Amino acid sequence: MREYFSNIVGGIQSFWKGLSLTFKHIKNKKDLVATLQYPNEKWPIPERNIGFNLSEYNVIKSKLHVDMDDCIGCLMCERACPVDCIKIDIIKPPKDSGFDCGKTSFGTQKKLVVPRFTIDMSECMYCNLCVYPCPEECIYMVGGPNEDKHEIDYEFSQYTRDGLIFEFADVTDEDILTVGGGEYIKNREEKKRRIEEGKSLNGKEILPVINKQSEEGTATTSKAPSNKPDFSVVNEIEDRVTRATAKKAFTLKFKEKASFQEISDYVKLTLEENGKYTSDLDDIIKRISEMTTSDAADSKDPESTLAGEEITHKSFNDLENKMQRGIVKKIFIGEKKKGLGDLDILKTIRVELKTKEMLDDQAKELLKKLMLQSVKPKKAPKTQSDIFDLKQLNGIEDKMTRGLAKKTYTKSKRDGKKSADILADIEKELQSSEKLTDDVVAVISVIRESI
Amino acid sequence: MSFVDTMLSALSSFEMNYTVLLLIAVTIPGLIIFLIMTVNAIVMVYMERKISAFMQDRLGPMEVGLFGFKGGKRFWGGIGQTIADAIKLLAKEDIIPKNADRFMMMLAPFIIFIASFLTFVGVPLSENFLISNFNIGILYILAMSSVGVIGIILAGWSSNNKWSLYGAMRAAAQIISYEIPIALTLLLPVIISGGLDVHTIVDWQLQNRWLILHSPFTFIAFFIFFISGIAETNRTPFDIPEAESELVAGWMTEYSGFRWSLFFLSEYTNMLIISLVASFVFLGGWGSPLTIINLIPGDYMYLDGPVWGLFWLLFKAIVLIFIMMWFRWTFPRLRVDQLMYLCWKVFIPFAIFNMLAVGIWEVLF
Repeated sequence: MREYFSNIVGGIQSFWKGLSLTFKHIKNKKDLVATLQYPNEKWPIPERNIGFNLSEYNVIKSKLHVDMDDCIGCLMCERACPVDCIKIDIIKPPKDSGFDCGKTSFGTQKKLVVPRFTIDMSECMYCNLCVYPCPEECIYMVGGPNEDKHEIDYEFSQYTRDGLIFEFADVTDEDILTVGGGEYIKNREEKKRRIEEGKSLNGKEILPVINKQSEEGTATTSKAPSNKPDFSVVNEIEDRVTRATAKKAFTLKFKEKASFQEISDYVKLTLEENGKYTSDLDDIIKRISEMTTSDAADSKDPESTLAGEEITHKSFNDLENKMQRGIVKKIFIGEKKKGLGDLDILKTIRVELKTKEMLDDQAKELLKKLMLQSVKPKKAPKTQSDIFDLKQLNGIEDKMTRGLAKKTYTKSKRDGKKSADILADIEKELQSSEKLTDDVVAVISVIRESI
Repeated sequence: MSFVDTMLSALSSFEMNYTVLLLIAVTIPGLIIFLIMTVNAIVMVYMERKISAFMQDRLGPMEVGLFGFKGGKRFWGGIGQTIADAIKLLAKEDIIPKNADRFMMMLAPFIIFIASFLTFVGVPLSENFLISNFNIGILYILAMSSVGVIGIILAGWSSNNKWSLYGAMRAAAQIISYEIPIALTLLLPVIISGGLDVHTIVDWQLQNRWLILHSPFTFIAFFIFFISGIAETNRTPFDIPEAESELVAGWMTEYSGFRWSLFFLSEYTNMLIISLVASFVFLGGWGSPLTIINLIPGDYMYLDGPVWGLFWLLFKAIVLIFIMMWFRWTFPRLRVDQLMYLCWKVFIPFAIFNMLAVGIWEVLF
């Protein structure tokens, strides 16, 4: 009994003792907390002491540093670097520019402008080999014998890998322009843009889209009958069930080789029977009735049968090996009768040759050429002649803006746009890069009037 | 006057169908309870993490801010941490093991959640903010708080996992054992005030004195109740059902995502319920503690009233919750036999003796 109560009393005592201990910690948390919030707070670096003072033993290599005022752009360090982590660009000012590059602390007259001097410290292996060739002693490792020049940064940690590329060049864009580096800046901007573009892909590869129209075009030029119904109009129906019904009806009549008027009537009838017909579909049915067979359409268009782009069995006459030529021609004609597209035929030929081990370099080259030819989109010379001349954009004074405008022009032209659209594109592009000044607007309006 | 009654009388002027009216009058308090539970869990988790960190000379969450506000740079940072954690929990995959009893495993968290939800119906937050005013208030709270055991056993059994089952068995044994001292200590206020009703008990305390100060026996009873309450909520030092070092996470081992967060929510709600019950039964409910000191006479100085009542009751509850956390980060886990010793050999004899003594005390004075 006595033990029982003494246990209880002891329990209460130890209970209180424990609670008061933890409360002491929570009360004095300001002094006791041991956590160091690292990126915001840092321990002070303890003073370096190796027990004796001898400069030979002081071999700290913290990071590479360049005194840009002393750099003459001789590229000696870049050449010495075994891992190519130093990248230097130089521009020689023209003699008549009168640009003064300044003098080094050794008194040497500098003759080159250095617009880029980057050191990628994530690549650097601290071999110190770049330090010795420097004639001006301007590149060196921080720390060691140079410990008085800079305070040693022991971490130089960064949030991104790009952050470890240190840029030392301090030349302004204006200076580069005065020494005739316009081309240099343009290239640099282009490179930057392409890197951005590559980043936005997020690692995906964009495959070249084969122009469907051109494929069909080449197929029809070779007079192959097209058995496939053209669903491009029917596909515009939004409702899935309705679309399927319409397609079914379309295919049925198409196979009977009915005219498009009949097809459209039949499609309408089927839809009405199934209770899917609404007045919204009127337009689509009307368009079906207005459709023409692709053969008829092509015969109207003389430009689609351009002699240069047609691929016939004669295209393979360049092949020297007789056996090879024979096989290729046989396959080509046979496949053509089946009504395949040129690209598919060429692919079959390639596979066939490979299995017979006759695919030599010449055949490869030829097939590649022909494939490109079959895929190449047809140029529409009509629209091209409508477009205003590129030289008209030369009225823009600012070099960068002009470059950008011209780039947009070429891009839009390639897309087959009209003059007005191209101008709109240019305006939009310049607006987004904040280069649309009043002068540029004036130039564009002049062009617009001249169209 | 309960909250539902107030709602009904306020809505009756709209001349609606009585069923619709009742539905609205029940849904709104339900949503309010759920909101209180969620906010409580979020605040308590943050508080718990900070308190545990300071007791162990750490800093706790420091990085996640809320609306651009990061909190103090040195100590009270990371106030958005629990919200981020809650979002993370809801976004997690809901895993159910292949050999588990699928239906029961899905059902169990809801039983546990509903148990704590229903308990909350009888717990007052203020004089007028009592969702439903039962005349058997305390009995209802006692009954509902033990419904959760069914869910725990269900969760442990259906997980088809030895740790889950061990945890569930221990939890059942522990919770059922500690129901007894809780019931015995809650009888004292009933004996003294003469009613099971929440209002009767609190009004008696407001007219006379807080029950914890009433007699030495009620003083002991408060501690018995509070410690048994901690055991009921399965918190350290009584956390053998989910002892991390032995049972992974006890009956919660196989749960993840939303269902696990329901366990979490009801656990913190149970903490709040125990603290609220302890404060309205022993610590004067919604009465101002300034009346005890009684420095300046005059009722208006005591900061009493409906809104202050809510503040005082929550204040008392939060102090008790802090003590719970303080216990958790101070004491090591009890062994199973120690746990049973404490319940059956210490708390229950003392509680029975208390009851007897309080009966005599009431007759004498």
